[in-house]
Amino acid sequence: MAPVKSQLTVGGRTLAVTNLDKVLWPRDGYTKGDLIAYYRAVAKWLLPHVRKRPLTLERYPNGIDEAGWWEKHIPRGLPAWVRTVKIAASTRDEKIEFIVCDDEATLAYVANLAAVVLHVWYSHEPTLDVPDFILLDLDAGEGCTLATLARVALAARDELAAAGVTPLVKTTGGSGLHVVVPLAPRYDWDQAKGFAELIARRLHAVEPDRTTLDRTIARRPHGTVYLDYVQVGKGKTYVAPFSVRPRDHAPVSMPVAWSEIEAMGRKRAKGTAAEMTRWNIRNVPKLLAQGGDCWTEGWKPHRLETVIAAARSLWS
Amino acid sequence: MAHAIWSGAINFGLVTISVKLFTAVRTNELRFNFLHKQDDGRIFNERHCTVCGEKVEYGDLVRGYEYEKSHYVTLSDDDFKSVRPEATQSVDIVEFVELDKINPMYFDTPYYLEPEKKSRHAYALLRESLREANKVGIARVVIRSREHLAALKPNGDALVLELMHFADEIVEQSDFDFPELKEKVAPAELKMAKMLIDSMSNETFEAEKFHDDYREAVMAMIDARVAGEQVAVPEMKRPAATNVVNLMDVLQRSLEQSKHGAATAARPKAAAAAKPAAKKSATAAKPKRKKSAA
Repeated sequence: MAPVKSQLTVGGRTLAVTNLDKVLWPRDGYTKGDLIAYYRAVAKWLLPHVRKRPLTLERYPNGIDEAGWWEKHIPRGLPAWVRTVKIAASTRDEKIEFIVCDDEATLAYVANLAAVVLHVWYSHEPTLDVPDFILLDLDAGEGCTLATLARVALAARDELAAAGVTPLVKTTGGSGLHVVVPLAPRYDWDQAKGFAELIARRLHAVEPDRTTLDRTIARRPHGTVYLDYVQVGKGKTYVAPFSVRPRDHAPVSMPVAWSEIEAMGRKRAKGTAAEMTRWNIRNVPKLLAQGGDCWTEGWKPHRLETVIAAARSLWS
Repeated sequence: MAHAIWSGAINFGLVTISVKLFTAVRTNELRFNFLHKQDDGRIFNERHCTVCGEKVEYGDLVRGYEYEKSHYVTLSDDDFKSVRPEATQSVDIVEFVELDKINPMYFDTPYYLEPEKKSRHAYALLRESLREANKVGIARVVIRSREHLAALKPNGDALVLELMHFADEIVEQSDFDFPELKEKVAPAELKMAKMLIDSMSNETFEAEKFHDDYREAVMAMIDARVAGEQVAVPEMKRPAATNVVNLMDVLQRSLEQSKHGAATAARPKAAAAAKPAAKKSATAAKPKRKKSAA
């Protein structure tokens, strides 16, 4: 059976799109056409977060119930106009040629590959060895309530605020939250990693019962938030803001104001996943058109020297 | 830059060209450690003797050659040393042969030879004269205490040293039942087969087109598990809890060092243009792509 093809013109580029009616979210009925339409609708807000950054695709061409896969290497048949970058991405020697998504046409192209999730680097061209933010992944474990997750996130905000840092927060679209601290582009990977670990350990010190640092899932205490600080590093990626997740109701990883997290702290929800679906491919384009990206204003690069100087008296 | 295996010379007649020897292929083989299923502990092997049952340390081992079932000739380190070739660090060319006269099955592992500064001219001269004559140098070379037969070939800007199999390493074709050359094929069949070959032909061989799909699939699986935190961290291997004060000290020291070092000199100016807050137009660098992998 030949795929159903049609053409799409985006930003002066004509690209072939296939099987637009293919249902990717079987219980919601969202199709690949819906995914492409979503990514085009949020391009204006999403692109600043992924531009110039090596991109990894998480593809679900047969829908979210089938196994998806991660793709770092450019796919076969990549149009000549899609920009790429070739890098040795880790300690492994070989070079990988990544897609770099700079424009709406490329975004539409990867959406047509059923790339539900977009993962990008912590650094961008031409300074791929200079991370420009760090991330603390607050991962709600089994039995963790929404209020616990929110409370841990707010504790992270307060600890950082005391040291002069204004962190940003987004939903992961899964079950947790991402706390992000923009950095001045002057540090290396070890310094960025060290800072992420420092925040995690400080947070564990102030919230010892609600958090865990144990990397083995089976050993994490029930109902706690796992503080994952090891996601930062060369070749590592995070889920881009406004990326969709392969779960029911097509939740979106949504940058939110801290007031949203305060509101979560007052809710009685047993789990956290349901709350995350509040932001999904149906309503996020509208929310952005109305309110814009709350990270745009909040993205302020921090200097670690200043932060450490302030933290020294508080956290010792 | 890779590490040179040795610095030495290409020798032929009275000519000496100073070169360094480098490996030219890397093995991308996937490597795994065995862990204990129950607790993720690393497994290590212990050697036990089949006669006394005792655990045997490395220093108490000797190599035995089984010349017939359960009968051994033992060889000590000194025995091996006495027959080991002298580490000559040279490529000694014994003859030149036309490349087409060598069965490609003899070629094994390629190495690069990089000229020392003083020998660049002689290196280029040898490379070009080999190319024009369509010949390769047959040489003897010692690499990692083993003597090898090798062919010295021009390849792009480089002289490549390709280790060769010795004749007795190649399995004879007469061991198999292959159809003979004179076995009849009908001209019409031959024409058909040639047409098929033509229709599937490509001007050049594009190695980039082909991927190790198995390796990529396994690595993708591993990357997904790392991202999904399905990872195993053996209990005993975890570092002792690092405290906040220590971390601050380490970080501060690192920051102070890079202040005086080169890290700040390489500070990127362009970074400001790409941070999410910057409202720049979507036009980025000109699309530069190599030939598409169709």
